[in-house]
Amino acid sequence: MAMKAWVPAAGPFAELQREMNRVFDSVFGRHFRPVGRIRSGYVYPPTNVRETDDAYTVQCEVPGLEMADLEVYVTGDQLTVSGSRASTIPEEGVTLHRRERDTGQFSRAVTLPGPVDSGGTEATLADGILTVRIPKTEEAKPRRVEVRVGE
Amino acid sequence: MANPIDVPVEMNHDSRQPPESYFVPATDVYETADQLTLVAEMPGIRPDGLAVTIEDNILVLRGTPGPEPQEHGEVLLKEFTAGEFYRAFQLPADYDTEKVEAGLRQGVLTLTLPKSERLKPRRIEVKVE
Repeated sequence: MAMKAWVPAAGPFAELQREMNRVFDSVFGRHFRPVGRIRSGYVYPPTNVRETDDAYTVQCEVPGLEMADLEVYVTGDQLTVSGSRASTIPEEGVTLHRRERDTGQFSRAVTLPGPVDSGGTEATLADGILTVRIPKTEEAKPRRVEVRVGE
Repeated sequence: MANPIDVPVEMNHDSRQPPESYFVPATDVYETADQLTLVAEMPGIRPDGLAVTIEDNILVLRGTPGPEPQEHGEVLLKEFTAGEFYRAFQLPADYDTEKVEAGLRQGVLTLTLPKSERLKPRRIEVKVE
């Protein structure tokens, strides 16, 4: 879960907040930065979904992945994004100072609120953000109703 | 060998001041016999939004997202937003900061520093891989 790291610029709690942020950063890294309260965990990848009249647009933050590392498929009205994150840290001959990036397999499914045309789905990947556009079926698109003036 | 640690947020030099609020990029740091490598995640950041500086052995990473494209429609789920990334590391004095190399790919910045004695500060050019 992407979190805004609120660092108040000034005030009596600013230094305390900075100190706490520093401690949390050094131990947990970005994804566990508390915002107001302690978070117990997060799902991966962080995902945004938007809906227009024609389609759903799903975006996932997947820094460091290439299309070959990802599987994106639509089954019924469900979109699944899965894949695996490999570590870039060499196995041997290395002194590790800090390891904050997560690795391993992941799979996340998003159920869309209406029927979709899986064949028309398009996925692009840029700057570590996956964007999937899933068109709605024709029947699911809102239809404008002509209002005729009565006589 | 000293561990590159996050520096306290207050720094005198203006160009190294952090923004008021920011994301902290998850970063791996490791060294081999010849060099130090940092790998920092900054999804959504492009090369023209990335600034990497080393001065007095303080490495500062700043990633600024581009203008958000006009987005249409209703938000059903929002777990991430665009935002600025910032992080500063105090490097041990063992690296040749003149010879640093930086690359950005799919929102991940990889920096390598060969080991040598400490040199003068410079701005690093980031290559798009």
